[in-house]
Amino acid sequence: MMERAMEQLNVQLSRLTRSLRRARTVELPEDNETAVYTLMPMVMADQHRSVSELLLNSKFDVNYAFGRVKRSLLHIAANCGSVECLVLLLKRGANPNYQDISGCTPLHLAARNGQKKCMGKLLEYNADVNICNNEGLTAIHWLAVNGRTELLHDLVQHVSNVDVEDAMGQTALHVACQNGHKTTVLCLLDSGADINRPNISGATPLYFACSHGQRDTAQILLSRGAKYLADKNGITPLDLCVQGGYGETCEILIQHHSRLFQTLIQMTQNDEMKENMLRQVLEHVSQQRDSHYQRILTSLAEVATTNGHKLLSLSSSYEAQMKSLLRIVRIFCHVFRLGPSSPNNGNDMGYNGNKTPRSQVFKMCARQMAVETVQKDECPWTGSAVFDPMELLWHSLDEWLVLISTELDRNRKNPSSPSSSSSEIASLLLKQREVDPSGSMPSLLDAQTAMETEVYADGEDVISMTASRLSAVIQAFYMCCSCQMPQGMTSPRFIEFVCKHDEVLKCFVTRNPKIIFNHFHFLLECPELMSRFMHIIKGQPFKDRCEWFYEHLLAGQPDSDMVHRPVNENDILLIHRDSIFRSSCEMVSKSTNEKLKQGIAVRFHGEEGMGQGVVREWFDILSNEIINPDYALFTQSADGTTFQPNSNSSVNPDHLNYFLFAGQILGLALYHRQLVNIYFTRSFYKHILGIPVNYQDVSSIDPEYAKNLQWILDNDISDLGLELTFSVETDVFGAMEEMPLKPGGTSILVTQDNKAEYVQLVTELRMTRAIQPQINAFLQGFHTFIPPSLIQLFDEYELELLLSGMPEIDVQDWYRNTEYTSGYDPQEPVVQWFWEVVNSLTQEERVLLLQFVTGSSRVPHGGFAYLMGGSGLQKFTVAAVPYTSNLLPTSSTCINMLKLPEYPSQEVLRDRLLVALHCGSYGYTMA
Amino acid sequence: MSETYDFLFKFLVIGSAGTGKSCLLHQFIENKFKQDSNHTIGVEFGSRVVNVGGKTVKLQIWDTAGQERFRSVTRSYYRGAAGALLVYDITSRETYNALTNWLTDARTLASPNIVIILCGNKKDLEADREVTFLEASRFAQENELIFLETSALTGENVEEGFLKCARIILNKIDSGELDPERMGSGIQYGDASLRQLRQPRGTTTTQNKQQCNC
Repeated sequence: MMERAMEQLNVQLSRLTRSLRRARTVELPEDNETAVYTLMPMVMADQHRSVSELLLNSKFDVNYAFGRVKRSLLHIAANCGSVECLVLLLKRGANPNYQDISGCTPLHLAARNGQKKCMGKLLEYNADVNICNNEGLTAIHWLAVNGRTELLHDLVQHVSNVDVEDAMGQTALHVACQNGHKTTVLCLLDSGADINRPNISGATPLYFACSHGQRDTAQILLSRGAKYLADKNGITPLDLCVQGGYGETCEILIQHHSRLFQTLIQMTQNDEMKENMLRQVLEHVSQQRDSHYQRILTSLAEVATTNGHKLLSLSSSYEAQMKSLLRIVRIFCHVFRLGPSSPNNGNDMGYNGNKTPRSQVFKMCARQMAVETVQKDECPWTGSAVFDPMELLWHSLDEWLVLISTELDRNRKNPSSPSSSSSEIASLLLKQREVDPSGSMPSLLDAQTAMETEVYADGEDVISMTASRLSAVIQAFYMCCSCQMPQGMTSPRFIEFVCKHDEVLKCFVTRNPKIIFNHFHFLLECPELMSRFMHIIKGQPFKDRCEWFYEHLLAGQPDSDMVHRPVNENDILLIHRDSIFRSSCEMVSKSTNEKLKQGIAVRFHGEEGMGQGVVREWFDILSNEIINPDYALFTQSADGTTFQPNSNSSVNPDHLNYFLFAGQILGLALYHRQLVNIYFTRSFYKHILGIPVNYQDVSSIDPEYAKNLQWILDNDISDLGLELTFSVETDVFGAMEEMPLKPGGTSILVTQDNKAEYVQLVTELRMTRAIQPQINAFLQGFHTFIPPSLIQLFDEYELELLLSGMPEIDVQDWYRNTEYTSGYDPQEPVVQWFWEVVNSLTQEERVLLLQFVTGSSRVPHGGFAYLMGGSGLQKFTVAAVPYTSNLLPTSSTCINMLKLPEYPSQEVLRDRLLVALHCGSYGYTMA
Repeated sequence: MSETYDFLFKFLVIGSAGTGKSCLLHQFIENKFKQDSNHTIGVEFGSRVVNVGGKTVKLQIWDTAGQERFRSVTRSYYRGAAGALLVYDITSRETYNALTNWLTDARTLASPNIVIILCGNKKDLEADREVTFLEASRFAQENELIFLETSALTGENVEEGFLKCARIILNKIDSGELDPERMGSGIQYGDASLRQLRQPRGTTTTQNKQQCNC
């Protein structure tokens, strides 16, 4: 009894010692649940001795499933690769095919985690490789997903069906292809996997490889004879490659199925295809081989031609065909530019030599071609065979335009309506415009537009039905011509084309100005062509032109949603408030134009603030600094509110650099739609625009002198004995010097006949030549951000609005501070109509009116009571003028006077006033 | 996704104004007579996929204006046409007399291999007939044209006209007389033969034949 007790104590003691020595229990708890959690960590660490010890003599059920997923210890061992424990458990009768809650056997887990030894042992103990889990996945699926080829190789020996499907009908081959495991794919194929097996949606292994751009896998499949099959929705492997932009995989598909080439090309017509992806694919394929490059371009050219012809079919959908054509041509040009025959690569084209096709067809438009001919000689228009298919389309385009021109002629010669006299007038006006493109009266312009519509009425249907369609084809033609030229050069062929069809194109845009903005983008890139359409463009609403302006200014820049990208610390302009001008100048000159275009970030030294508000403030303060008299860069004009370059700015030796900087700041402000707090003189806005100044502009700097010039022009000077010559006396450091206005000017007398020239020359001397270096420096800076061709869209009034913004105008204040002369008084019906009209105008039109009369969009501080004229305070004045039919209002800006004809009705007044405002820049100079 | 066909043929419909070219096309495509048809402006476009000799062929048909003022524009569409329907009006001798001119245009401007079908349209207006069948068929023989009398109103022979033209072109391809790969032939391959592979094998024998093409 005592011995027994001792023995027991000894056992307990030895247990205790063992337990203490091993820092764990040495006896498995009775119940399975507690026991399994004791064993689990040991199994995970493959502590097989301990496990074996504990299991010895215990009643633990080795198949006990525990936890949320109901796994046995065998699962744990297989999952963790605890091979010794695994064997132990198997020996103790663990079921190798026990499935957990998701249906996974230990073999699944071993396969998923690539536990090679465990898998081997499980198979030894007759684990079933064909068991599917709840999703239908078998061990080989798991191996295939992860590309464990070696293990798969061992396993497939035991597999009864390598094509076992999961719940989605996917085999191991599908998943291996999707993930691009090449050797796994080969192994499965060698084991007899069905290479064309569709899953439940009809997707084959090739389909999976293509959907993820697995080039090498696709290659293996195709070389082993995989068929090219679409899924049940008709989506083909090629569709998938294109959608994903997988050029390399496409290339493989085409290698094996050459007909897919044509399909790929046809996809360019598909509106749903993402253009950038398709382009990426075509780019890649075209770069593989010269023959591919040739073939892609030729085929694209064919497709473009068919599309273009469809577009010219009146019953087709204009919108859809137009988009399709332009998309194809865009892709074509893109691919072309990449290729060996692009002039930008500096590579000579090996295909078609220096053929100048169809130069015989397009006859030179002799007058305008002088400049372009030179261009042509320097850079011969080298055609390439790939463009040939499109010649059909260009030929049709040409014939169409010729046809329309014939229609126009026919209608002009035999007007169907009895208005033959009016058509004569119209053609007369047309000629007049050609002679004098810049300065015709608004009334004429107006009348002419009206006439044109009437005259063309008979050909109306054909022209109005085809104009947009033809214009879209012209746009495509321009793109094709341009992509063969070095960047920034206009193709002589296209210039010839525009010259040839000048009249028809003008007719198109006159009738439907939207065409300019939609299709005539070439105008912005070719100043020489732009000038032909300028009068029509200028006739378009300011807003539309603004949109066009910014659309092209920002073209090629990242989208505005990129604004929020983090600012690089180095790109922040750090400005010192106490030397804002100098430090800004320094920072801007350090930065690059490209960075400044992308966005401006400003921080004031010692301040935290950043963001748009600070940028605004910077432009605001800086623009005030630019006109700070201390720098002597700009001087005030006579009215005290507007500025222009100071002819004596050279007192500051660095002045030209500062003008360059000022130009940059103004350009930048315009680029980023920031308003500046500067108003320039009308003449300086003209300088920015490159418009010649006239004698009236002189009044901003010297109103008295301007009056004298006006007097010379208004009166017959023949018998006055002025004895003026084409020269002026200037004060050069105290000594009077005679300065000729033109060569030999000192001995040429000013007469009644040449006085206009004299006034123009003397104006240019005062307004331009005196500050030419300053203007040039300013423009150099300005043009770094704003191309001259774009700013041309506006006149000097609009430029002021663009740079300085649209002011608020208080019509009540305006009304209260207006005076009347020459027979008007506030009770006069015409005056009352006038104010009613002003009240009904839009804000923009009121500003135009203010500019029209005062020369500036600015309302002075304190309101209209403080409006300045050439010589002191000068209120807004309305003066009566006798009415004759169609007479337009005019103005004298130096005395803020509106000369308002005594119109018979409010309607007429409104109509004429608006005509004057909208054609301001034409009518102004003549009045 | 894009349409399925083996070949694409470019067709022209030519002939004097008012002979019913647009109505023929409309009848062929829509199976309907176009009641109030205006003069065609320039060139109109239509297409239909047909089955000829076991092959699917997409006919891309350019219906040209007959009026003289559009002649220069319509001529620019001739190049690269595989087939043409030359149409006159059996009730108008004038349109018949103009055939020689149209024929010369087609033969000089289009590909020399162009297949031309002569269609005497308005067959339904027997009472007003000015051109006899015999006379026209003699003209056709002399000029090596296939000849049909059609009615866009009743639809008689319209389908036949287009299909006959397509069939002749297919025969010429088979015999090697026409090479679809040559530029300007007016013929293009579609990718139908590839797409059809996904159908169970052996449903039709023609498809198996096409497999050899790829």
